[in-house]
Amino acid sequence: MKAKRDLQFDAIVIGGGIAGLQSALDLGDQGYTVAVVDKDATIGGKMIRLSKVFPTLDCASCITTPKMSSAAHHENITLFTYCTLNNLDRQTPDKVVAQLIQEARYVDPEKCIGCRKCEYGCPVYVEDDEQGGFNMRKAIYIPFSNAIPQIPLLDVENCSLCGKCAKVCPTDAIRYDMKPEEFSITAKTAVLATGFELSSMEQKPQYGLDRLQNVVSSMQMERLLAPHGPYNRVLRPSDGKEPDSIAYVQCAGSRDESLGIPYCSRVCCMYAIKQAMLLSGALPLADITIYYMDIRAFGKGYEQFYQNAKAMGIEFVKAKVAKITQGENQTAKLRYEDQEGNGGVMEREHDLVILSLGIVPQWDPEGICSVGCGQDGFIKSIMPKIAPTVTNIDGVYTAGVAAGPKDIVDTITEAGAAAMEASNYMKSLA
Amino acid sequence: MSEEKKQSTATTDMKKLRQERKEYISGARDKMKGQNKIIKALKEALSGDPKTIPELAEIMGMKTDTVLMYVSTLKRYGIIGEGPKDGDYFKYELTK
Ligand SMILES: Cc1cc2nc3c(=O)[nH]c(=O)nc-3n(C[C@H](O)[C@H](O)[C@H](O)COP(=O)(O)OP(=O)(O)OC[C@H]3O[C@@H](n4cnc5c(N)ncnc54)[C@H](O)[C@@H]3O)c2cc1C
Ligand code: SF4
Ligand code: SF4
Repeated sequence: MKAKRDLQFDAIVIGGGIAGLQSALDLGDQGYTVAVVDKDATIGGKMIRLSKVFPTLDCASCITTPKMSSAAHHENITLFTYCTLNNLDRQTPDKVVAQLIQEARYVDPEKCIGCRKCEYGCPVYVEDDEQGGFNMRKAIYIPFSNAIPQIPLLDVENCSLCGKCAKVCPTDAIRYDMKPEEFSITAKTAVLATGFELSSMEQKPQYGLDRLQNVVSSMQMERLLAPHGPYNRVLRPSDGKEPDSIAYVQCAGSRDESLGIPYCSRVCCMYAIKQAMLLSGALPLADITIYYMDIRAFGKGYEQFYQNAKAMGIEFVKAKVAKITQGENQTAKLRYEDQEGNGGVMEREHDLVILSLGIVPQWDPEGICSVGCGQDGFIKSIMPKIAPTVTNIDGVYTAGVAAGPKDIVDTITEAGAAAMEASNYMKSLA
Repeated sequence: MSEEKKQSTATTDMKKLRQERKEYISGARDKMKGQNKIIKALKEALSGDPKTIPELAEIMGMKTDTVLMYVSTLKRYGIIGEGPKDGDYFKYELTK
């Protein structure tokens, strides 16, 4: 076995989403050496997986890819993807140590040229979570076309070990016997930017427990809307019909004590409005309805964005959806109490229904790092008002949705602030 | 190490790996068999005129969502392309 490596950097950033990348770029530009660690096989986090972004409607990939590649090509930044963080804590004022495992991709990153011949040659198809589970990838695959690094990973659990990928690889990069490797990173300061995931589709029996046809999550809808999505257009997943009628169920996982998510996830109103606008562009004849409790258009230009959506003909119905069941002809039937108009219990069928699920933390530091979290599970700031990125551990900061739900604008601002705190901390050591 | 010796170590290593990953391998093979059958049936169904998902499902005797999953997968790997629209549905065709 190879000797365990210990690598030294000025700063370590956990999470290579837009928060982590921004902190790394800001620190790297100041001349500090930075390690960015991600558990995923690619950097970019949620943002690279979105279609377009509110309120500017910029193409997400067009504005995220340059940040990802600046980080990848930065002389002071080193990326560590597909790694598991087993431990991170401060040992002395100038030493934070992270214990990590480089998981096996079964592909030699030094040799691979990213040609994807292995992927095309592989005979096994596997449902692709990166495409919302709507189509399939191969057992050896590059996660998506603008993933960084462009190195495939082999999914051993679905590999028949047929040897085709090794045969077609022009650089002899396939390593069927690769093993995970432990290593550690020692730095002076750390930024925790571990982001979020969506609450589960299966948590609410009233909404069909992920068993209804044509009821999808908001993240799946981002894929359906993305130019490189599973169908390259918006279709109903049950049978490929172009939907005539589409509905959003707001607060489908948030502001609900019974689900343990009493807080507002903040971005759902805005992303639902964004998706509705994109849909009305893609399917001009479709009826689009947003069932909401109240619309929270919290940022600069956001109220105008909401008003524009109304002017475009998107219907806003103030109602809490009580139940979703399967309707006629593969539709989803919503039962709701109308809080305006005539009131009372109503029912309506739609071709496609999107659940605006809640935002929950992706990482639970329990047993890995002594950083403090709030009751909601997000990393806690000890000075939430005047220094929101400061945690209970000296010289360890947090940024982005790891610290609580927020949009990209606020995430980037906070990531810059975390980098500034980290840089000041390092100066204070000198 | 001589070329020959290298080759034989590689073969024993593969044997060992095959043993270790026995269950994964047999699972993947079963999966592949089922998939190949569906793909063959799909290509046959598409050998004539372009067809919609419900039309393909009818011919293949399969559920529409499964057919769409396969059509969109083969589209991703360049084997199927999107054809003209027919009512609310698109038709699909073989690219080669
Ligand atoms: C459906 C949807 C649509 C949205 N649309 C918009 C929009 O249009 N405009 C907008 O402003 N905002 C939008 N948002 C919000 C936006 O996605 C977030 O603000 C932003 O992505 C947060 O970035 P982040 O880096 O904090 O988190 P993430 O993007 O979640 O990145 C976290 C990273 O950390 C990694 N990570 C997690 N745990 C670990 C660990 N233990 N070890 C190592 N790495 C780890 C993850 O793999 C990931 O790469 C949307 C959100 C959703 C759900
Ligand atoms: S060895 Fe595994 S990953 Fe490689 S081509 Fe065969 S099934 Fe695919
Ligand atoms: S065929 Fe080889 S070089 Fe090409 S992407 Fe696959 S592993 Fe890399």
